[in-house]
Amino acid sequence: MNVDASIKVTIDPATCTGCGLCILACPVDVIRFDEAAGKAYVAYGKDCQVCYLCEDDCPTHSIGLSHDISNSRRYSVYDQFGIDF
Amino acid sequence: MERHEADVLIIGGGFAGTWAALRAAEVGASVILVDKAYVSRSGASTMSGGITTCPLDSDDLDVWAEEFITRGGYMCDQRWSYQLLEGQRERVKDYERWGVPISRDDKGNIRRFASRGMINVRGMQYQPKAAMREMRRRITDLGVKIIDRVCITDLVTSDGCWPTRGAAAGAVGFHVHSGVFVVLRAKRTIVATGMIAMKGTHRVDNDTGDGPAMAFRAGARLIDMEFTFGGTFNVLMKRYDFPSYNVAIAHGARLINSKGERFMEKYDPVRLERSELSHVVAAFAKQIIDGNGPVCVDLRHVDDTYWPDIHRIHRGGGILLSEHVPDPTVTPLPIEPTWGMWASGRSGLQIDLNGRTNVPRLLAAGSAAKNDATGTHASAGSPTAFCNVSGWHAGDCAARESLEEQLPFVPEETLSALRDAAFAPLGRKPGAKTPDLLHDDLARLEASVVDGMVLSGERLQVMLAVTEDVSRMTCEIHAQDLHDLVKVHEARNVAECAGAVYRSALDRTESREQFFRQDYPYTDPSWFCWHGIRRGEQGFIFERIDFPTDGVKFPIKNTEAGLGPIGAIIRGEALQKEHA
Repeated sequence: MNVDASIKVTIDPATCTGCGLCILACPVDVIRFDEAAGKAYVAYGKDCQVCYLCEDDCPTHSIGLSHDISNSRRYSVYDQFGIDF
Repeated sequence: MERHEADVLIIGGGFAGTWAALRAAEVGASVILVDKAYVSRSGASTMSGGITTCPLDSDDLDVWAEEFITRGGYMCDQRWSYQLLEGQRERVKDYERWGVPISRDDKGNIRRFASRGMINVRGMQYQPKAAMREMRRRITDLGVKIIDRVCITDLVTSDGCWPTRGAAAGAVGFHVHSGVFVVLRAKRTIVATGMIAMKGTHRVDNDTGDGPAMAFRAGARLIDMEFTFGGTFNVLMKRYDFPSYNVAIAHGARLINSKGERFMEKYDPVRLERSELSHVVAAFAKQIIDGNGPVCVDLRHVDDTYWPDIHRIHRGGGILLSEHVPDPTVTPLPIEPTWGMWASGRSGLQIDLNGRTNVPRLLAAGSAAKNDATGTHASAGSPTAFCNVSGWHAGDCAARESLEEQLPFVPEETLSALRDAAFAPLGRKPGAKTPDLLHDDLARLEASVVDGMVLSGERLQVMLAVTEDVSRMTCEIHAQDLHDLVKVHEARNVAECAGAVYRSALDRTESREQFFRQDYPYTDPSWFCWHGIRRGEQGFIFERIDFPTDGVKFPIKNTEAGLGPIGAIIRGEALQKEHA
């Protein structure tokens, strides 16, 4: 399917309290801490796998995730065989 | 350079690593647990489907062990089958006592169901994330030193050689945020880094076979690597992640082809979609090849408990009841599987009953190791059970053996050389390839579920050449920052493991279970053995190792020659009796 590896995760700076739980939660180190702003920010967004761990741990519901497939390195066999639905 | 010393060093903080840490600390050892991410939010344990094998005191374990052994084609160590079940019974009790959320019936009893691939073995549904949180809290209370966000780059050996003639002496790596180099010296080292997988083909994206790769470089024996191939149904409508196939079918989900046929009736009329995953994926591929696609997951028949469970236990379950997909209670939805490196204990580092590898002072546990309890077939829930139990035993053994010993000496020149190698990509000039592009090259090897199931010597040679190219590139490539540097080391490790998989596959001149070569489509009884690969000073060493006869309760039955199950399904032939 080769879906465009666009950014799947966003953090709302208006509601982020800078607690850092999302930074701990991310298994692939997508989120870092902005010292100047005192808030978390998406540093390596294209590596996000949409695993929901950061969203689950955020106490202020500041994290938004796309439901689109998380992964740019998966290919659909339906595309390979030209099967539409 | 930051230095740490401990009786027991554990690399990887999922179920295997934390159970090892907990047990080693209980025995009285000083313990360091190091992880590439944050222990309790790292790897496949946290992301696992929420099913684990659930033997209770009232169960006859002979019946369960027999099913593990026969479904696994007798290709196991039967002592491990019993050790797994007896150990997991205690781990389930621990989770109950600790208050880990477990799905229960109206009377408050654990709600159990037949594990996918099994008739007698039962699994339970629980919250793996809550279990991991509890494990972190408990090992912290026991004094385990947890070091998060350190990328281990290599094991340290006592003689400074890889492969070693000496012993494991710890590991080195770097803090992924600060770049500080870390030296971890230990009397015993346990590798518990989880599965061997490509980066970017599963949501568990930091399981890149780091532990097996670095142990392999140190001379450890990998077993049955060609059985690393596996997969599950995890892509919905070409663009959404499907939450846990195992959970869905446990609640009554079906697979139907474009004609509305429940095609698994033809291959496994008893277990249907709960058959061995390799059989279900092969049957899926057959539908596609025959023009009967798309295949849909039919959730119209699931029981009422599925929908609340899928919401509570799987955060990604929300997609099924969102506006993004048609109402799945009315409309079957197109689904497809992946097929590629996804070990789940079918392959990995060879360990004994105590978790020891063939390299002195090096142990392994969990999905980094070969699960000898279940042979070629891992039923739903058995990989996490193996993580818990193998971790416990490795921690117990490492702690006891370490108590009477001195810390190994490691020359400073060895550490300096390892530090230079770890950071070398940061000092190189940028080129055409980036670390991400290396992972693209590797992941493309698993682009097609159909091509991935139907292997041949010619195709395997092409795949092996890609891993050799990537291995070479990791010695030349530039990393622009520490985040990139982690990916270079991950690419090195994926390529190392994938190379061992394809080399082992080329060496095995037959087809068996989920491994199918169309140039050798028949099962050859002379391959009824463990298949080892390790690095020697002169190159790769392949070994055929007989199954242990100690403690055998069910007489070992050698496989008969015949068309393997994948070949039979792809060719449209009936499965032989022992496969169905």
